Amino acid sequence: MQTQDNLGLRQISPKLGPSYAPIWKQLSKWGGFVMLAVIYFPLLWLVLLSISQNPLGGIPGSFSLDHYRSLFSNSAWHKPMLASLVIGVVVGLICAVAATIIGRALPTMRSPGRVLLMFVVPLFVPGMSLGAALFIVARAVLNLKLGFWSIALGHFVWAFPFALLIILVVTIRFDHRLVEAGRDLGASDWRVFWDIEFPILMPGIVSAALFGFLMSFNEVMRSIFLRGTAETMPVWSWIQAAAQQSQVPIIFSLASLVLFVTLPLLCGVFWLLFARVGRS
Amino acid sequence: MRARDATCSKIFWKIEMQQIASAAEMPVVGRQSSLYAIRAKLTDMNVAATVILLIWFALVIVPIVILFAFSFFSTIQFRTVYTPTLDTWVGLFSSGRWEVTLRTLRIALTVTAIELAIAFPFALWLAKRCKSNTSRAVCLALLTIPFFLDMSSRTIVWRAILGQSGLINTILINIGVVNTPVEWLLYSEVAVHFGMVVSLFPSMVMPIYLAINLIDDTLIEASNDLGASPWQTVSRIIIPLSLPGIMAGIVFCLGPALAAWVEPGMLGGGFVNLISNSIESAYSALRYPVVAALSAFVILLLLALLGGMYLIARRFGDPSSSISVLKG
Repeated sequence: MQTQDNLGLRQISPKLGPSYAPIWKQLSKWGGFVMLAVIYFPLLWLVLLSISQNPLGGIPGSFSLDHYRSLFSNSAWHKPMLASLVIGVVVGLICAVAATIIGRALPTMRSPGRVLLMFVVPLFVPGMSLGAALFIVARAVLNLKLGFWSIALGHFVWAFPFALLIILVVTIRFDHRLVEAGRDLGASDWRVFWDIEFPILMPGIVSAALFGFLMSFNEVMRSIFLRGTAETMPVWSWIQAAAQQSQVPIIFSLASLVLFVTLPLLCGVFWLLFARVGRS
Repeated sequence: MRARDATCSKIFWKIEMQQIASAAEMPVVGRQSSLYAIRAKLTDMNVAATVILLIWFALVIVPIVILFAFSFFSTIQFRTVYTPTLDTWVGLFSSGRWEVTLRTLRIALTVTAIELAIAFPFALWLAKRCKSNTSRAVCLALLTIPFFLDMSSRTIVWRAILGQSGLINTILINIGVVNTPVEWLLYSEVAVHFGMVVSLFPSMVMPIYLAINLIDDTLIEASNDLGASPWQTVSRIIIPLSLPGIMAGIVFCLGPALAAWVEPGMLGGGFVNLISNSIESAYSALRYPVVAALSAFVILLLLALLGGMYLIARRFGDPSSSISVLKG
C-alpha cells in the first residue's frame, strides 16, 4: 500500500495537504459512516430479534432463548449445514491450492494481464448469468444429474478470483532472488518451495482458503441454479423464509449463530493479511 | 482494481529481473544459454498452472459461449429444439418483458448513481483525508466483511425494520409524525432501491479507494500551490486519475444490480418484477433457451451500458488506461 509514502510526505509539509471546503469534507465522511452503520445495523437487529419472544412483531422485547431451543430440537437444518460445511472446506482447499499455483506463476508470465483478466471474469459477469450458464452446460448440454458437485463447481468459480487476488498480494511482493539463492546453494525445486516460498506465502494461502470457504458458505444465487435437489445452508434458509413465516424465528437464531462464528474468522483473516504481512 | 497496483510493481520487478538475468547470462555462450532459456520457460509457466488455466477456460469461458449459443434455440412442449432460430429473442420482448427490462435498467442505473454520489466522496476522504492509519484500516475491514456474509439473512431483517409494525414505523408513530404506518417502506420499489444501495456500497467504494490511493499526493499539492480551487483539484486531477477505479466500481455495482434477485424477492414482495425474476420463472418452466437468452441479455446490457460509460468517461480523462494495464 502507498500509505507509507503518503505519511512521509505529510510529515515534511503538513500545511500543504489537499484542501476541500470543510462542509464537503464532513459530508463525504459522514455519508460513508452512515452507510457503514446501515450495513451493520441489520446484523445487530438480527441478533436482538433472535433472542426476543416475538421476532415477527418487529420490535425486540421480552428476551428469551426459546428460538435457540427450538432450533436445537429441530434437526431439519443439520443436513444442509453439514453439506455447506463440507462444500465450503472443499472449495476453500481447492481455491488455496489452485490460487497458490496460479499466483506463483502469474508474475513470471509474459502477458500476465490477459491471463489475470480471464481469471477475474466471474467478478464482472452477474452471478445469475454465470449460474445459468453453468446450469445449461451441465444439465442441458452434458445431461448430468445436478447435486453437491455442481454446487461446489459453481462456488469454486465464484470464490477463485478472490482467492487469486489475495494470493497475488503476497506473491507480487515476493523477492525471487531468495529462490535464486536457494537454487544456487543446491536446493531442489521442492525444497525451495517448501523451505523458502511456502513460509513467506503462508498468510496469503491461509487467507485464500478461509475466504474461499466463507464465499462458498454464504453463496445463494448460483446454488439456486446448480443445486438440483440438494440443499445448502443458505438455500435452506432462503426456502424456509420464502415459504413459511413460522420458520423465520429459527432462521434468525441460525443466522446469528453463523454470524458469531463467521465474524471472528474474518477478523482473524484480516489480522493475518494486514497486520502480519504488513509488518514483514 | 488491484490488478493495476499489481501490474505496476510487477513491471518494476520484471525490469530488475531482466537486469539480473542479463548480467548472469553474460559469460554463458551458445547452447548452454539456450538450454537455460528453455528450462526457465518451463518453470515460468509450469504444467500445473497450464492445467488449471485449461480447466478454468472450460468452466467459465466455454459456458458463457454456450449460453449465448443456447439462446438461439427454442422450446416446443418442454423440449429444447436444437435448430438455430431467433424465436426466443423475438419472444423475449413481445411478452411484456420490455417493461420488466426498462424497470430493471431504471432501478440499476438509479442505484449506481446513488452509490457513486455517496461512495466517491467517501473514498476520497478515506484515501486522502483520513489521518489515522488505524481508522482507515478499520473502515477498509468493515467495507470488506459484508462480501462474506450471507445476503439473504441480512436482507430479511430489513423486513422486520421497514415493515408495518417494524422499527421505523413504530418510531414514526411514537413521535407523532404519522398516524397510520407508512406502507411504501416495504414491498415497494423504494425498499428494493434501498436494499440494493446498502448491499452494493462496498463494491463501489473499494475500487475507487484503491485508485485514489494510488494518486501521488504531490500532484494534489502542486494543484493547490498553483491556485486551483478544491473543486478544480477534484475535477481536473483526482477524477481523471481515478477513472479506472470509478469504472471498475460502476461495473461491480451495475452487474449485480442488473441481476439483483435477493432484494426484489425479499423487499419487493412480488410487486417489483426484475429480469432476475423472469429468469427464475423461465427456469422453473424448463424453458432453458429463454433462461439462456435472458442471462445473455443481462450480460449484453451490462456491456452496452459500459460502452456508454466509456464514451462519457472519455470527456474526463483517459479511460483506456484501465484497459491498457490489463494488457500487461
